[in-house]
Amino acid sequence: MREDVKAKLAGMDPDERVLLRPLVETSRRFYVIAAILGAVTLWGVFAYFLQVRYGLGRTGLNRPGYWGIYIICFVFFIGISHAGTLISAILRVSKAEWRRAITRSAELITVLVIGFGAIQPIIDLGRPDRVLNVLFHAQLSSPLLWDVISIGLYFTACTIYLYVPLIPDLAIIRDSGIKAPRLYRLLAIGYRGTPVQRWRLERAIGVLSIVVIPIAVSVHTVIGWIFAMTLRPMWHSTIFGPYFVMGAIYSGIAAILIAMVILRRAFGLEDYFKDIHFDYLGRLLLVFSVLWFYFTFAEYLTAFYGGEPGEMRTFWAKLTGPFAIPFWTMVAGCFVIPLTLMARPSTRTPRGTLIAGIAVVIGMWLERYNIVVPTSVNPRWEVESIGHYLPSWIELSIMSATFSGFILLYMIATKFVPIVSIWEIKEGREAVKEVAERVARYSSSAQY
Amino acid sequence: MTRWGMVIDLDRCTGCAACEVACKSENNIPTVSPEQAEMGRAISWMKVTAHVEGEFPHTDMHFYPRPCMHCDNPPCIKVCPVEATYISDEGVVGQIYPRCIGCRYCANACPYLVKYFNWYGPEWPDPEQQYLNPDVSVRPKGVIEKCTFCHHRLQQAREDVRAEGRELREDDYQPACAEICPTGAIVFGDLDDPTHRVADLREDPRVMRLMEDLGTQPKVYYLRARE
Amino acid sequence: MTPTRREFVWTMGAAATLALQETRDVFWTTESGDEDLGWAPGLEERHNSTCLICPSRCGIRARVVDGRLVRIMGNPLHPMSRGGVCPRGLAGVQMLYHPERLAGPLIRVGPRGGGQWQPVSHDGAIALIVERLQDLRAAGRPEAVALVAGYCAGTMRDLWRQFLQAYGSPNYVPDEYDDGTDAITALMHGIPRRPGYDLERADLVLSVGAPLFESWWAPLQAFVAYASPDGSDVGRSRFIQVDTRFSRTASRAHDWIGIRPGTHAVLALGIAYVLLRDELFDARFLAEHVSGFHDAVDERGRMREGYRSLVMRNYRTEEVSAITGVPVERITQLARELARSRAPVVVCGPDVTLAPNGLLAGLAVHSLNVLLGSVNRPGGVLFEDDPPLAPLPVPELDETGRAGLERAPVGGAPPPFGAGDPAARFVEAIAAGTSPEVEALFLYYADPLASSRHPEAWRAALAELPFVVSFSPFLDETTRHADLVLPDLLPYERWQDAPAPTSYPHRVWGVARPLVEPHPGGMHTGDAVLAMARGLGGSIAQSLPHESFESLLKARARGLFSAGHGMTLGGEFERRHHRQMEERGWWLPVHDDFEEFWDELVERGGWTDLFYDNTDPSRTAQTPSGRIELMPAVLLRELAAEGGVRRPYVDVATQDAAAEDEFPLRLIPYRVSTLASGTLAFERWLVEQPGLFPDVLWAPWVEVSPATAEAMGFADGTMVWVTSRRGRYRARLKVFPGTAPENVCAPYRLQSPDGEVANPLRLLEPSSDPLTGLSSWFSTFIRLERA
Ligand SMILES: Nc1nc2c(c(=O)[nH]1)N[C@H]1C(S)=C(S)[C@@H](COP(=O)(O)OP(=O)(O)OC[C@H]3O[C@@H](n4cnc5c(=O)[nH]c(N)nc54)[C@H](O)[C@@H]3O)O[C@H]1N2
Ligand SMILES: Nc1nc2c(c(=O)[nH]1)N[C@H]1C(S)=C(S)[C@@H](COP(=O)(O)OP(=O)(O)OC[C@H]3O[C@@H](n4cnc5c(=O)[nH]c(N)nc54)[C@H](O)[C@@H]3O)O[C@H]1N2
Ligand code: SF4
Ligand code: SF4
Ligand code: SF4
Ligand code: SF4
Ligand code: SF4
Ligand SMILES: [Mo]
Repeated sequence: MREDVKAKLAGMDPDERVLLRPLVETSRRFYVIAAILGAVTLWGVFAYFLQVRYGLGRTGLNRPGYWGIYIICFVFFIGISHAGTLISAILRVSKAEWRRAITRSAELITVLVIGFGAIQPIIDLGRPDRVLNVLFHAQLSSPLLWDVISIGLYFTACTIYLYVPLIPDLAIIRDSGIKAPRLYRLLAIGYRGTPVQRWRLERAIGVLSIVVIPIAVSVHTVIGWIFAMTLRPMWHSTIFGPYFVMGAIYSGIAAILIAMVILRRAFGLEDYFKDIHFDYLGRLLLVFSVLWFYFTFAEYLTAFYGGEPGEMRTFWAKLTGPFAIPFWTMVAGCFVIPLTLMARPSTRTPRGTLIAGIAVVIGMWLERYNIVVPTSVNPRWEVESIGHYLPSWIELSIMSATFSGFILLYMIATKFVPIVSIWEIKEGREAVKEVAERVARYSSSAQY
Repeated sequence: MTRWGMVIDLDRCTGCAACEVACKSENNIPTVSPEQAEMGRAISWMKVTAHVEGEFPHTDMHFYPRPCMHCDNPPCIKVCPVEATYISDEGVVGQIYPRCIGCRYCANACPYLVKYFNWYGPEWPDPEQQYLNPDVSVRPKGVIEKCTFCHHRLQQAREDVRAEGRELREDDYQPACAEICPTGAIVFGDLDDPTHRVADLREDPRVMRLMEDLGTQPKVYYLRARE
Repeated sequence: MTPTRREFVWTMGAAATLALQETRDVFWTTESGDEDLGWAPGLEERHNSTCLICPSRCGIRARVVDGRLVRIMGNPLHPMSRGGVCPRGLAGVQMLYHPERLAGPLIRVGPRGGGQWQPVSHDGAIALIVERLQDLRAAGRPEAVALVAGYCAGTMRDLWRQFLQAYGSPNYVPDEYDDGTDAITALMHGIPRRPGYDLERADLVLSVGAPLFESWWAPLQAFVAYASPDGSDVGRSRFIQVDTRFSRTASRAHDWIGIRPGTHAVLALGIAYVLLRDELFDARFLAEHVSGFHDAVDERGRMREGYRSLVMRNYRTEEVSAITGVPVERITQLARELARSRAPVVVCGPDVTLAPNGLLAGLAVHSLNVLLGSVNRPGGVLFEDDPPLAPLPVPELDETGRAGLERAPVGGAPPPFGAGDPAARFVEAIAAGTSPEVEALFLYYADPLASSRHPEAWRAALAELPFVVSFSPFLDETTRHADLVLPDLLPYERWQDAPAPTSYPHRVWGVARPLVEPHPGGMHTGDAVLAMARGLGGSIAQSLPHESFESLLKARARGLFSAGHGMTLGGEFERRHHRQMEERGWWLPVHDDFEEFWDELVERGGWTDLFYDNTDPSRTAQTPSGRIELMPAVLLRELAAEGGVRRPYVDVATQDAAAEDEFPLRLIPYRVSTLASGTLAFERWLVEQPGLFPDVLWAPWVEVSPATAEAMGFADGTMVWVTSRRGRYRARLKVFPGTAPENVCAPYRLQSPDGEVANPLRLLEPSSDPLTGLSSWFSTFIRLERA
């Protein structure tokens, strides 16, 4: 670190000092990890080029296993994207004070992961060269097109929603002069923190956090509908819209938790990501694990109870057949592990939530697997035998690249924006009185 | 209105698979390597599938030759984001290969799984291209294809008939599979024209369609005696 | 999947090229996206011809566009196949345009089988052969030349025979399918030709182990009868299938009678018992045309039991039921149904005759036709003559030739009835060194190294033979060991005649004609034989005076032109008209001259005569007594010579080994009809999806019953070793509910993706019927283990 920057940092208030330090100080470990992630990503790009060149034959896809890893990752990543926007928007709208430290890291996940999710169906295309046909020859009755629209909208909204609350922090960086002054001058668009500006900013955030909620809900609903609109066993289900939204939020929370644990360790943010955050988010996780069970149970019970032969074949393939291992691992990851860990306060610690978060992320990936693959390979017609699908190294490489690419971008982002919203933290400190008053307003006036 | 359709008499079908190979030959369907076939990537617009019921010695086996059902209410076309699969005025469900982006959504939406994907580009090692049918386009890699009711034959027949200045007759337009079937199990024609055999056969008491309950309204009917 | 070296090199070196390429691909893909094949639709022709892929010889119609054979379809004028074709015939285009087809004649350089070849011209190749042949004649050893001929139809066979005769060699070695039914008819009727079955006019077809819809002589004949000739349900024949395996034929027959292996004939005689007991047989037919039915006194004055007594004594229904596993009621019911039918016919299949007691079993099954009077009547067993072709000239023989022909053929005497397996006898004699040396071997349509059950003997023999010439258009396994390859043209490029299959009861002379420009590297083997004869000169050239195979065929067709009956192939109406006219004794010539007749014959794809004269008693029996002999005297003598252990209508079952602990399951090999010969491996569409089960493709599989699979703890799809006392191979387990629990059905002639040939036939215990010399395929027990 240059001496002048060091001096400038030293001159700041404690919040700024801690939160801006990562922007100017990078450890060796950071570079090593980034290099590894970069290599994995490049390898995936190479794999993709092979796929484009030789055809989708390089994957493990087949008939009837038409969809595999890419579609799973599509659903999964778009699901993760619900981490930020939806959670932070809901917390904002409901004025949950403890949100202040976590919204930024969550929103960042959202924006970065949408892109990685949205390219999955393109990677999955047999003719990526014709992708623009979805604009030139758009057929509105296709749920896939609904997705193009809602993801496009979602991405735009989320980017704005990330950017607007970022402006005061960008101004802080600009004013501190510790990094790329011209870039930050541009990005901070003349924000000075005047009362008018402040009022407009909060207005905008308020509106955005309301607007973004229905968009986010629509995105994952529509993704669920891609499946639900077909007549395939265990896809053709009315519950899929809400089921997917719920699952998305669930995996989003898990992803935030994992990110927070890592950030806390990496940047020494123990003062910001406090145990109480993990406790609260852990409670949320708990609620969602129960919700997840409720939805899943409802979904499977309906399929089972109807006993329609086509449905039953897929049903048993999942419960006891070739997909039993992914199925029961999913149940463990999405329900058993988070439930047992998050139900007890003693395990709603950072470490406990990390374990639960990882379990949920894996579980939710498997949930998508269990939705996409078993139905795809299971013909409705009993005369045809069940197919099989094993991803090829190309698909696995591209999936790894997606993960590593996302993590890499996220890491890089921490070098450009404070991972905890500085101004909101400060505002929180000042708002203690206002909050106390607010709380007093809605607490019972009965005398003890 | 003309509505092309097919009636397949399962009580006549011997499962010889001539229809399958005739279709491959007529429609330029490429062969794949053994490994690819193992993986389920062989293309067969018409596929004869054995349906076995009961155990030895009370076994019963029927063969279902299965082309595209050319559903009147096809779930496959609604889902296509680029309208690369469509239903014609005469009820034939077709593909626009040059437009298809290869998302395989229609393939998943078809409950009969009759859509096939070109996982690789087709290969005809020299001199195999010689036997390709010039009337049928060769599909490039990355697009979906399926039975077209040998639509090129209809176009050809229409031209011939126009040249001769007469109406299209039942035998002017017959798809390759119906034409070749040694037992005459496949009958093809206009379901709405009472002079065509299919119109008659559709009234047969043995008639049934696959997954009728899905409401797809297939235009391929099967005849099968119920024991 | 691991990256191939190509991929690796490509990444390292050419990332930039790739980027460019991909951008081009991405942005420059034409809207049409279709591959540009560089041809435009052009001149389109359709020609009738005949399929030469299997012994059925169906009529085909070719669609030729700009000189390319684009489609093979059916010829509706063909009276047997009626516009139908099977998948093998359809995929013929893939054989014609196969990439591995030889580009021209090859001469071996380097060691045998070393794979090093040098191209040679056709004339050069012929000259080489002629030189060899001249040397052998000069040395006075014409018999040292041998021909192994596989599928060899019509005039090709006559030509080869004529050539060898004129040359002076007795060693024409057929290596072709024989189901032994000609031995049955030769004995019982005195007519040495296979029975023709009038399936189309029969109202009940009882097939005893004949794979009618699969690898029978003529599946198309069976299909037409099954569908009923006019396509309506009225007059459809009823098919009943007696089969060990729940085969495709069994499944689509109107009734299937699952039976224990090797007991078909017992069931037949059980039916005969009911017919006799209930007096349901055709007594008038028996009285007029049959001998051996009643007990009789033989020439030495001893009482000999006749058919009736033997059957009545030995085949009480309960006993038959116990042996065959067929319930008593079913047996009675079958007999009644046969008796009730207007025109029943019983077809005797290879499952009956290819067994240690095959001939006796075959006699027993065929005897049902006799009891029912289903001989020489519409819907029954018919014996038609060959088409009246003009014969080849009587071969001229010189001294050398005559001397050569007097020498014994390699492989020694054939078995008492039928030809047995001449190729096996031939190769064993050579391998054992028990015959005079063969100096030159011709291989025509035969790939014994791949197909023989004695591949080791063949390997040894091929190593010994000084000069081996193959006429195969492909480098098949045996051809790789040849010294000279003179590739034949493929069926769609050459002239050939193809008489109707032996099971078809009427005369058809199909003609195959060149449909496309012949491959410049190929030479019609017929023309090659004629050229060899010309090169040898003298009496040999005189015996084969034809300029080309085409002119030879044309010359033979003159016989048809002047026969005074028959017609060129024609439509339904024409056929019926012709038949009715001929029935009334009328026949009008419709062609002014032979050229006109020939042109029409070629255009329509052949000649036929559907009129069958069943008033001719010589079509019922040509035995010395003029009667059908249920107890053929020659057979009785032969059996006595054997030691008198076996008796007709008594020893008809396969006395087989029982299952044992080590090998608890019976192996039932069967042929996947789409892969019935080595040649079909060149039809990739067939190889791609050979079986009925869409989930078992190229990999070899074995079928077991669900109960057996469960008892062994094997799931569908498990890879297993199939092990018999003689060997083992790997296959995928397929659970098939149609399989009897004690059996394992194994398709053969399948190559697994790793190139290893899984051949259940090499697991079989060797055994054969001493009377016919035909090997039996049965009685092998195996075990399954997880692989
Ligand atoms: N594994 C296995 N072995 C078997 C059998 C089996 O099904 N599987 N079947 C057994 C039986 S029953 C038989 S009859 C034999 C059959 O065995 P073969 O008589 O050897 O017959 P194919 O295997 O058909 O081989 C015929 C060869 O002829 C050549 N050929 C193809 N087309 C032409 C042509 O147009 N002209 C010429 N001149 N040659 C041509 C091809 O190279 C081909 O290899 O095999 C026996 N052995
Ligand atoms: N269309 C067409 N027809 C052909 C041919 C062709 O290429 N195309 N090839 C011809 C040739 S060369 C041949 S050799 C024939 C082959 O024709 P087939 O002789 O019919 O040959 P496979 O189909 O192998 O039949 C063997 C049968 O024996 C049964 N089997 C197995 N083990 C036993 C046993 O222990 N006892 C009894 N009783 N049965 C048993 C099996 O179930 C199977 O049904 O086909 C001929 N016909
Ligand atoms: S060609 Fe006819 S008989 Fe053969 S499988 Fe097809 S429908 Fe059945
Ligand atoms: S069968 Fe499938 S592909 Fe054909 S029209 Fe119906 S839904 Fe579409
Ligand atoms: S694969 Fe092609 S035809 Fe099918 S839905 Fe996608 S774009 Fe449409
Ligand atoms: S109608 Fe034509 S395209 Fe469809 S299965 Fe039959 S042959 Fe093939
Ligand atoms: S049965 Fe034989 S002759 Fe007839 S089409 Fe098939 S392969 Fe050709
Ligand atoms: Mo054979």
